[in-house]
Amino acid sequence: MSLETKLPVYVVTGFLDAGKTTFINNLLNRADWSDSYILIVRFETGDAEFCSTNENFTYLSFMKKELEQNPGMIEDKLLETIVQNSFDEIWIEWNGTVPFSKLQNLLLSPSLRNLFTIHKVINVSNGEQIENILGKTGEALPEQISNSNIAVVRNADSSESFKRIRNIIRNINPDVHVCRIKSYKNIYKHLFKRDEHSGTMFFLAILAILFAHLVMRPFLEMMGIPVNTVINIFLGIILQALPFLMIGVLLSSFIQIFVPKATISRRFPKSPGLGILTAIVGGFFLPVCDCASIPIFRSLVRKGVPVSAAVTFMTVSPIINPVVILSTYYAFSGNMTIVLGRICLGIISSVIIGFSFELIPPKKNILNGGVLDGLMCSCGCYEDVESVTTLKGKLLLFLRHSQAEFFDVGKYLIIGTFISSLFQAVSISVFVSAQSGTALAISMIIMMIMAFVLSLCSSSDAVVARSFANQFPAGALMGFLVFGPMMDIKNVMMLSSGFSKSFIGRFLFTSFVVCFLTVFLFANWGGM
Amino acid sequence: MQAKAFNFQVFLEISCNIVFALIIIYLLKSGNYLYYVTPRMEPYLIFSTIVSAIWALAGIKRLFKPQHLIRSAHCFVLMIPVVLLLLPHSALGINDVSTGYAGAGAYMKNPTSGNSSIQSEYSSGQYSDFTNDPVDYSGNTTSPSAQEDYNYSYDISPSPYEPDVKSGLDEENKKINIINDEFYPWITEIYANMDGYEGYEITMTGFVFKDQEYLNENEFVPARLAMVCCAADLAPIGILCLYDNLSELESGQWVTVTGILHKGQYNGQDEPQITVTGISPAEEVLVYIFPY
Repeated sequence: MSLETKLPVYVVTGFLDAGKTTFINNLLNRADWSDSYILIVRFETGDAEFCSTNENFTYLSFMKKELEQNPGMIEDKLLETIVQNSFDEIWIEWNGTVPFSKLQNLLLSPSLRNLFTIHKVINVSNGEQIENILGKTGEALPEQISNSNIAVVRNADSSESFKRIRNIIRNINPDVHVCRIKSYKNIYKHLFKRDEHSGTMFFLAILAILFAHLVMRPFLEMMGIPVNTVINIFLGIILQALPFLMIGVLLSSFIQIFVPKATISRRFPKSPGLGILTAIVGGFFLPVCDCASIPIFRSLVRKGVPVSAAVTFMTVSPIINPVVILSTYYAFSGNMTIVLGRICLGIISSVIIGFSFELIPPKKNILNGGVLDGLMCSCGCYEDVESVTTLKGKLLLFLRHSQAEFFDVGKYLIIGTFISSLFQAVSISVFVSAQSGTALAISMIIMMIMAFVLSLCSSSDAVVARSFANQFPAGALMGFLVFGPMMDIKNVMMLSSGFSKSFIGRFLFTSFVVCFLTVFLFANWGGM
Repeated sequence: MQAKAFNFQVFLEISCNIVFALIIIYLLKSGNYLYYVTPRMEPYLIFSTIVSAIWALAGIKRLFKPQHLIRSAHCFVLMIPVVLLLLPHSALGINDVSTGYAGAGAYMKNPTSGNSSIQSEYSSGQYSDFTNDPVDYSGNTTSPSAQEDYNYSYDISPSPYEPDVKSGLDEENKKINIINDEFYPWITEIYANMDGYEGYEITMTGFVFKDQEYLNENEFVPARLAMVCCAADLAPIGILCLYDNLSELESGQWVTVTGILHKGQYNGQDEPQITVTGISPAEEVLVYIFPY
């Protein structure tokens, strides 16, 4: 064959018994492939055998042992076979227990790289078993799914179970096309579709932003949306939040990579009371605002810290850290009632929220990857997690992990900030005018909703609260100051990068109700 | 989608990190970051450029490590701020700010510098709600205990307020000429020593801030925008002026105000006020005030 045209390679991955061989048999024996000369490479010894009706297949088979011990031999053998024959396509059935990155390294090794292009990677899964084996069978399977273009699901007959499995798969790889095994039309479509180079997409998207800016701006301004203000507020919040987000992901990746799970679960206090106390003390000494506390919260939960304590940490640390206390003190001109009120009510509320998760533990795993997340990090750097033992390797992994987490959480920060800067530019006056001559409860709810919508950093919200002191009673300001750091649009978006919807919903509801009641009761009782 | 040894995703990540770090360095060098955040953020921004640079360096090793699926969408986390920073936009002015006038007291560097400054906050309407609120929100607003709660103690941490400026002060002729750089220190100084500056002639520059809701028809504030944390919390600060021909002035117009300082009454509380004797148009001052 000529070396100029690269051979298209199709890779089929999936766990043992997922039905990889059957899938390849059924697909390649269809009429569409009858004229193609195909090399099938197998890295698996399964029950099913290949059978070809058209006699146009050549087989190669390697054992998992050979793959681990002698990849050079496999390379040579592949090279030899390919050069001797002129194949149209290569199909690879990959071993379900070996990470895809191994194959990637093999196929893209210097000697083979110029012969192949990996066209598509297809993951086959058995709907009956996938939910049970994910997370229990090591990192290879999720890693394979996260590298797939197409996921084919077998044995998922009811549309309900198909949807559930599709969600699981998309949690691992949001870009994958999930198809039923019988919908060949669908599979074909994705199999032969040429995907745009994502670099092209990237630059197109930037051009689109520029174009939208040019064309839409006058239009939006006509509609009363002050684009300039939105951009400024957006950049203000982002420039302020990004450094803190970086601190957060560095700390959380540090926990993830350097602190063994066993240490945390051994050392962390078993009793919920002590756990929550530890969380409060930790919250005071880690001067992080809410952008940073969410990634840390996530890695604490992954490391097995009880949800109640972790929730307490997440809600209390943006309120009681020294920077926030100081900025509140300044903003309210040294009004100790406000400062102490904010600290105490913040602690009380977060303890109650924490205990609520102790009393009624969440039924399902709160991390949205389910059992999976306990095992691997969300960053997609599966390949080395287990094997890295040297300090240098760990440091590199730490950097890579923190960067991946930064991008992961950062996208939600961007979306959340954008929404809130839009609100801020357009609608503060709406909130203010909604409150005139209303009862404390209503004022409080307005202020709390405003805190939620504006998504201010907890180190700056005090002065904004202060600027509303003319229009709102102190109780409502307190609601703003206590609830705002715990929950807002930005936080909800950031939480959704790692947690299930039901957890976020429950957390939002609990924190709103608890903050409201705590502040309301205090205001009535203490005469606020 | 082609699997190449050259890893485009890593290349993109490295580029974004470098571009981001460069643009932050530019913002820091030019001082333009002050349109978005306060000087306090400077060390944090330096920190973020360092982290970006380290991430970029750490990526180089993976630049030639092959990868089948190339993703790029996540890079927008850095690219969107960069693109927006590069797109033409102007700094925020008063007409873009929807936050109301909170009184200079809200931004006092040293809140404990004396009775007068605290009173001035009440007088500038800060806590009018607690004393004059017609709304009975807790059932006991007007009870003595409720009000006592707001007579917070003034004597905590009595660190003396050190006026770091006196430039423009002419004690002989009882004149204060506030240059733009000293706007904020002077305002806190005057709030703190209202009695001392009684009768002084004062000159200051700000934009005309009118507020139909909380200010009377002859009252305005020659204000500047103060930023505590970021562009999202910009709010006007200044000293209340009394001027009968206020209708001549347009809201947001930059003016230099000359007038006589005196202790005024607002909601029954003392605060420094200016009775205007002269007004002239002024150049726009494009620098925010950073109280902390």
